[in-house]
Amino acid sequence: MNSARSRWRAVLLRHESVLLALLLAEILFFNVAGARFGSLNNAFDIVRHSVEIGLLALVLTPIILTGGIDLSLGSLLGLCAILFGKMWRDGGMPIELAAGCTLGIGALAGALNAALIAGLRLPALIVTLGTYSLFRGLAEAITRGVDTFTNFPPVLLALGQERFAGLPAQGWAFALIAAVVWLLVHRTTSGRAWRAIGFAPEGARYAGLPVTRRIASAYVLAGTVAALAAIIYTARVGQAKADAGTGYELLAITAVVLGGTSIFGGIGTVHGTLLGVAAIAVLNNGLVHARQPREVAGMLTGALLLIALTLSAAARGLGSRRG
Amino acid sequence: MHRFLLIALCAVSFACQKSADRDALGGKKLTVALLPKSKGNAYFISCKKGADTAAKELGVDLIFDGPTDPDPAKQNEIVENWITLGVDVIAAACENKEGISTALRRARSAGIKVVTYDADALPDARDFFVNQATPEGIGQALMDEAAKQIGPEGEFAIITASLTAQNMIEWQRHIEAQRAAKYPGLKMVALRPCDDKKDLAQSEAANLLGAYPNLKLIMAICSPAVPGAAEAVKQAGKAGQVKVIGLGLPNENRAYVKEGVTQTVILWNTLDLGYLTVQAAVATAKGTLTSGATVLTAGRLGEIKVEGDQIVLGKPFAFTRENIDEFDF
Repeated sequence: MNSARSRWRAVLLRHESVLLALLLAEILFFNVAGARFGSLNNAFDIVRHSVEIGLLALVLTPIILTGGIDLSLGSLLGLCAILFGKMWRDGGMPIELAAGCTLGIGALAGALNAALIAGLRLPALIVTLGTYSLFRGLAEAITRGVDTFTNFPPVLLALGQERFAGLPAQGWAFALIAAVVWLLVHRTTSGRAWRAIGFAPEGARYAGLPVTRRIASAYVLAGTVAALAAIIYTARVGQAKADAGTGYELLAITAVVLGGTSIFGGIGTVHGTLLGVAAIAVLNNGLVHARQPREVAGMLTGALLLIALTLSAAARGLGSRRG
Repeated sequence: MHRFLLIALCAVSFACQKSADRDALGGKKLTVALLPKSKGNAYFISCKKGADTAAKELGVDLIFDGPTDPDPAKQNEIVENWITLGVDVIAAACENKEGISTALRRARSAGIKVVTYDADALPDARDFFVNQATPEGIGQALMDEAAKQIGPEGEFAIITASLTAQNMIEWQRHIEAQRAAKYPGLKMVALRPCDDKKDLAQSEAANLLGAYPNLKLIMAICSPAVPGAAEAVKQAGKAGQVKVIGLGLPNENRAYVKEGVTQTVILWNTLDLGYLTVQAAVATAKGTLTSGATVLTAGRLGEIKVEGDQIVLGKPFAFTRENIDEFDF
């Protein structure tokens, strides 16, 4: 009895539970305050609008778990989007091949980050600050800032705009990546290694973990998925331009941190990140339905982050005092 | 964990249920959604002022929302939210022509009427485009204003953004056509590019003042060049002697206009643009404006010409010392 109760309390006091409660509160609130917020179509809008940032947040989770950071993902999204468009329109590639090559480019870009961070052991913040400018700069240079790719074939546009088996098509891609990342983080040795590195990189090295390889794999995964996000973005908006994905890296980092991942590494879950993405997406969408001005969204996202962190710290304090 | 999932599912199903018995938005009042390129832009805030007037006159609800950050996908998201919200008509100023067209087409296929204003979408993504000014109208207004300032004879120079920009070339072509037809005594002595930069426009204008002592007027046809030319004229001590006119925004020229350095700033009346946009949107939603129409009765603006799928605001507007304080953008 007693142990069941304390287990129950431990679950309740977890960061994810606090966040889930906040998310439910948001949903209930907007359902009362906003017209048509609770409709199925709106749920699909929320999914469509949050897939790209959600993908970036998913793959940022392992990186942040290792104590790293990747600021270049939004810029990489932009670069991949325009290269995707360029290979298809100017290179004459079939759209499927162009998509495949784009994923390869994303992986290569991720490998560049990985080589500098894991190989040369340079600080991730500085390396990705560099590639943040480099990738966006390349995208702008290639298009000279004005070239826009458009008129994509229907098969691509369907990925961003149509439904597949009842759900927005990109929702399936997101679910797949979410499942893969969840399994990687929570059910494989890679996941345990990422956490161990985040806790104590030198300790992990002495423990015989392949630290370099594990860190590198997180950045390559992130690059590849950023390329996927670029393809989905292009399909949703119907155009690829050099400014695609501007600012997405910060939104994704916000979602990860809101989801309870420690920015110092070592602690965090993928389902927490998913809740973080959902909490931000619902807030942004709900405000529109409640007819609140858009500028409030940024303010409330910040407030949400601070409230979630405070509540969860308070809950932890409660747990440790009584436990 | 699965207990929480259960609670979450209950909440979501409750949410879906609840909205099913509340469908339309606040009864029968028409809802017009007005999308600016960016929300904080004073130009669009000024358009909104006119739009508010029209909405009040017509008794419709007006939603005004637009991007506040530089994410180019934001306009699409706003439009998609409006589709779900079930607005009656969307009026959009398009930042990314091709990109936004995707969302606007969706809106149309959901039965929402779409008009564009200020910057058009692709023609199949909207019903009508409220065109603030044609190149011909702008060219003629600039040339007429020049003649009004310096009379039938004399020299003038043009400062442009670049010699290759499409819109600049077109405006200049119409300026020249109007000059040849109506003011053959006026002579354009120089055409200088300023790369759309104020400081370059200022040094070009200073050069012109030195090189052409008989110069009577500088016409600046890109917006940074108007204050640039004015500053050069002011520093040369030739305010009033060499007139400055141009295509620009009231705020950045206000001081020069009030000092009498710049005589006239030409643009369109943004209040009227917002007003006409809402008038056109409501007429389209009510079915009183359909394709093939040649005229739109637009409240205080009277009868407005419809050319094909474009509704033309009419003659550009001249901002002068007398009226410039009515505008803030």
